[in-house]
Amino acid sequence: MKKTDLGVVGFMYAVCIMFLAMTLNLKKEAQTYPLFIIVLLFLLTTAYLIQMLISAKKKGVTSGIKEIFADFLPKQFFPILAMIIGYLVAMYLVGFYISTVLLMIGCLVFLKVPKWQIVITTLVIIGLVYGAFTMFLGVKLPVGLLFK
Amino acid sequence: MLETLSLMGQGFINAITPLNLLFMAGGTAIGIIIGCLPGLSAAMGVALLLPMTFTMPPETGLIVLGAIYCGAIFGGSISAILIHTPGTPASAATAIEGYQLTLKGKAGKALAVACFSSFCGGLLSCISLYFFAPALAQLAMKFGSPEYFWLSIFGLTIIAGVASKSLLKGLISGALGLLISTIGMDPIEGVKRFMFGQASLYEGINTTCALIGLFSMSQVLILAEKKIKEREKAAKFKDKIALDKGDIKRITPTIFRSWIIGNIVGILPGAGASIACFMGYNTSRQFSKHKEEFGHGSIEGVAGSEAANNAVTGGSLIPMLTLGIPGESVTAVLMGGLIIQGLQPGPELFTRYAPMTYTFFAGFVLVQFAMLFIGLLGCRGFAQISRLSDAILIPCVAVLCVVGSFAIRKNFVDVVIMMIFGVLGYLFRKFDLNPAAVVLALILGPIGEKGLRRSLLLSGGNPAILFSTPLCWVLIVLSIIGICSPIFMERMEKKMVKNAGGDIPDESGDDPVRTTD
Repeated sequence: MKKTDLGVVGFMYAVCIMFLAMTLNLKKEAQTYPLFIIVLLFLLTTAYLIQMLISAKKKGVTSGIKEIFADFLPKQFFPILAMIIGYLVAMYLVGFYISTVLLMIGCLVFLKVPKWQIVITTLVIIGLVYGAFTMFLGVKLPVGLLFK
Repeated sequence: MLETLSLMGQGFINAITPLNLLFMAGGTAIGIIIGCLPGLSAAMGVALLLPMTFTMPPETGLIVLGAIYCGAIFGGSISAILIHTPGTPASAATAIEGYQLTLKGKAGKALAVACFSSFCGGLLSCISLYFFAPALAQLAMKFGSPEYFWLSIFGLTIIAGVASKSLLKGLISGALGLLISTIGMDPIEGVKRFMFGQASLYEGINTTCALIGLFSMSQVLILAEKKIKEREKAAKFKDKIALDKGDIKRITPTIFRSWIIGNIVGILPGAGASIACFMGYNTSRQFSKHKEEFGHGSIEGVAGSEAANNAVTGGSLIPMLTLGIPGESVTAVLMGGLIIQGLQPGPELFTRYAPMTYTFFAGFVLVQFAMLFIGLLGCRGFAQISRLSDAILIPCVAVLCVVGSFAIRKNFVDVVIMMIFGVLGYLFRKFDLNPAAVVLALILGPIGEKGLRRSLLLSGGNPAILFSTPLCWVLIVLSIIGICSPIFMERMEKKMVKNAGGDIPDESGDDPVRTTD
């Protein structure tokens, strides 16, 4: 048994409780189907918990963290995740194209890509999005709150 | 019969328009590029480019997606042969013999064999697509509400069971997907459910956004967590990318055997190209007159693996188009492509929308020719692209995920949903849950819910209606088999890998599910 699987079980129970609370606020006729799925998820999660406990008795307990996050580089992963989330916020504020240029340059510089490749990649991706989405599909990409 | 032949002919006439041919070639080239990049997979590529097809005519959109699918399955062999790293798990067996040929200075021949066998495998798989799909669709016409309920259960048990490392985790993923599919308006009572105050969730979670998040954005996060390594240089080769008559004569029986294997594996929901390639490889070794060459560079080994994995493509479309059951992740994404066009998989595709469906089939045949020509002519170029660093892929794929999810409904909430599913998909993959089961539940959930609730309405709340027809019982039995099949599939896969010599190269093109393409 991996200790990390307890997290999975906890997450599933939390989802069940959250949806159960919301389901009980629905009118009675609309409650049946969601309740059926919630009970199904609860039963499957409980069956998995029992399977884990049996396995813990037989094979013992391991952390699981080391196996799951063996190659994990927090100093690389979290800044990139932050950049992507920041990109969404920036897109909302300053529009798609400016935020995309910022993400591309920021991310590529952070990942130590040579300068000439940064320039080419940014130009290619901007050109691709402009050609495919703005020109071909006619999608009006966000211009941002500041430029509205 | 005559009507079918006329539809088939009309399909080819419709498919050979300059626009379709252009998109076909473009889709195939993009697919090959995605396939030969070891960080990306076929499902991810199709999901990423799905939004680009929604303004196209349905048949053109589907042809593009089919071209990406076929191109990606073949593209995986380029990096497998030249850098011993399969671009997708579907080419894992190709690397065994293909790289040995490269070491002998015969990379050109290995690539030519891979391309020709992929072409033959894909082309022959279209035969089963033409003949089995309409027959199965006729059966699906007999389905009523109870059958649709059991059909959705069957689809879920298959993907949850077969495509997960743990059966229970697969089923939990499916149940979670079903719960997420209840977000939005209740289809019978008209009550708002779990919408968190967001009016844009009125129609439920947008499946395409969920697909992009679960398959593509999660891959960005997977790439971001690992050390960026410089890829090995693709081996330079001077020999011609060509086959002589002797080679073709030698690999022809292998191609036919692998076609049959790939087709059967493709039609079986849950089994994918990664199993087929090893089965094709093993069978080619078993029947070869040059067994001594295996392990040291055998063109039959390359042909066996590549013909089998491409023969899966046509076969795997059959259950998806006729019953609405995508057997694995790529067809689940392709089904998203159908839904985005406002089409529902099932018998209607062969009646009301038959001209569109047969145009897609014809396009699928022509895609194989595009793959042959682009593959043979562009192998050297694609080999260089396969070296593209993950550092460049990370921001590029992230931008395409964001713009793709925004483009569907021009709605920023969809981008946020995509991001949430991206993080969920990443965590699912880390903790061995199954993103493909979630996607399938999102697609099948509403069908199952309507089937169940309409059945109960018709019977005045009596659940016996769900067991009232022989077809219901057939689907119940199939669902039970679906749950039990992981044991069989795992044994089969282990046996195949062991028989192949147990030398499986690094599958860095890791997919969200175990049996991927």
